[in-house]
Amino acid sequence: MAIKHQQPDLVPLFIRYVGAVSSKLSRIHGIAGRDLEIKLGNDGVIVQIGINAEYSHKVVPDGERWTSEWGVTYEGMRGISQPVDHPLKEPDVSGYIWPDPHKPERMAEIKQAMARYHSDYAVMVDLSCTFLEAGYAHLRGMEKFMMDLHLSRDFACQVLDGLNTYYTALGVHAIEQGIDIIRIGDDIAGQNGMLVPPKLWRELVKPRMESMIHAFRKANPNIIVKYHSCGDFSAIIPDLIDLGVDFIGTMQPCGQQVDMAAIKAKYGDKLAFLGGLDTQQLLPNGSPEEVREAVKDVLRSYAPGGGYVFMPGHYVNLDVPLENVWALLSAVHDYRRYPLNFD
Amino acid sequence: MEISTQDGERSMAEIMKSGTLEKLAQAVLEGAAEDAKRLTEKALSESLPPNTVLVEGLSAGMTVVGGLFRRNEMFIPEVLLSARAMRFGMEVLRPLLAETGAKPVGKVILGTVAGDLHDIGKDIVHMMLEGAGFQVFNLGINVEAHKFIEAFQEHKAPVIALSALLSTTMPQQKAVIEAFEKAGLRGEVKILIGGAPVTQEYADKIGADGFAPDAASAVLKAKELLGIS
Ligand code: B12
Repeated sequence: MAIKHQQPDLVPLFIRYVGAVSSKLSRIHGIAGRDLEIKLGNDGVIVQIGINAEYSHKVVPDGERWTSEWGVTYEGMRGISQPVDHPLKEPDVSGYIWPDPHKPERMAEIKQAMARYHSDYAVMVDLSCTFLEAGYAHLRGMEKFMMDLHLSRDFACQVLDGLNTYYTALGVHAIEQGIDIIRIGDDIAGQNGMLVPPKLWRELVKPRMESMIHAFRKANPNIIVKYHSCGDFSAIIPDLIDLGVDFIGTMQPCGQQVDMAAIKAKYGDKLAFLGGLDTQQLLPNGSPEEVREAVKDVLRSYAPGGGYVFMPGHYVNLDVPLENVWALLSAVHDYRRYPLNFD
Repeated sequence: MEISTQDGERSMAEIMKSGTLEKLAQAVLEGAAEDAKRLTEKALSESLPPNTVLVEGLSAGMTVVGGLFRRNEMFIPEVLLSARAMRFGMEVLRPLLAETGAKPVGKVILGTVAGDLHDIGKDIVHMMLEGAGFQVFNLGINVEAHKFIEAFQEHKAPVIALSALLSTTMPQQKAVIEAFEKAGLRGEVKILIGGAPVTQEYADKIGADGFAPDAASAVLKAKELLGIS
């Protein structure tokens, strides 16, 4: 309801915690995983599938390496796996074998989440690292893929096409399970703006996203399409509206996105937002009082009239003191009720 | 591409005065690697001193790139192509610079701190420093504090530049400073820090010597720390 721009009675919550933080919280609450997130107040659950899902929550001992089905090698680094070697050594995809999106087991976790939560909670499926990010972070490496966009354009397009085919099929299967929200996630921005020129993004990514979203809507005309990028991607927000995206996040408060109220005023009638609270300075270093004030500030900017789901600008990470986690949770619980009142 | 002359950068008009060096700078700006190589050779064949070709050709181009990047008028893919063009020219120049005994403007040891693998920001800092005539020892990503000390002992570079992109790895910048203190070497180096979550305030707090918010400013800051104008 919040996402459909109707004002619900409460601002929905969707706070994510990195593995090590959830283990800490799990010891306190005696439950784990999605049950824990729900217990802490979340109104939805997320299931990540695709290239990113395989690694981002896989805990392996430091220094240990493993290779995914995509041929990407990851290494355990302080509790999380990280990409260290990429399968596309040369700008050539001809010998590359794309994973099969139609394997029924890929839907197993979604089916479980639907059975357990869908009656009471929203279920979102995350196709994380959908386009450029899959290319630069996983398949090819940052420097190479960024240069490929110019020097080996055909190759870069073939990579993006392969990803489009895979994720469109995977997303459609997910939508057929009856989920509420499908999330296209592609980190294409840094602290002060886009990593790639907006024009190049419009040329290479936008048309592919268009066909993907078209297929999603064909599978379910009411599916909520969410788009995620880290950093300041405000340059392409109008394009996302063109594409029929409903919901955007993580709205890291950096670059032009620092002015949250301006973003809401400009696009709030067309888009719902997720995120906005600073995880880079405030959550790790701020006092509980500062966290409380900042939560109010985010709600004041994004929540009026609905169209907002609360989340920090990323996962709550290990450097966030537990007092700040409590301050965050108590502040959202105190101020999330409509009509909003911040006294 | 529109170029403004803020921040003491050379104006395009100045660079476009024609002449080989101007064309070389332009080739770097456009990321035209083969042209950069050819124009470097041409400039040398016109008996221009290698150091002049470096400073007024390759570096001049990279300075413009740095400014445009900072102002979001140029983005990562194009910056990488410019750096590549600069390196094509440098390949030609390097042996000649060595021969003439030309010294780098300064030496910098650079790395992304332990636990952090974000590398492109650090690499762009590398390219800009190199473009400005610095010799850069890039230790890569996930670099433990003791590796910076070892690199210092080997290369004696007076600037240690530390990149951190995660609030969880920023404390590693402090750890490197402490490691230099412990080794009795803190007085011999200037520590320069940066990365998306890093601020001047944090630099002051941990006792770093400098901070810069972007690659072009990193060059200015490194020069300032070494007393080079
Ligand atoms: C690309 C990216 C990645 C890529 C990195 C690929 C690569 N090979 O580099 C991938 C996908 C692998 C990745 C992984 C992760 N990331 Co990341 N990532 C980003 C993203 C989107 C952009 C960073 C970037 O490349 N910017 C472009 C470059 C050019 O800018 P820059 O790095 O800031 O550098 C400039 C300046 O800062 C400065 N500078 C940089 N270094 C230095 C050094 C010196 C000495 C100086 C003077 C200046 C300087 O000059 C540069 C050029 O102008 C940021 C978003 C953001 N807001 O920045 C998140 C971000 C940094 N990531 C984040 C996180 C949490 C992660 C993960 C933990 C996620 C996960 N659970 O796996 C992992 C951690 C991996 C690890 N151990 O390091 C968070 C950090 C939050 C926090 N609390 O600090 C961010 C901010 C996203 C967010 N929404 O909050 N990430």
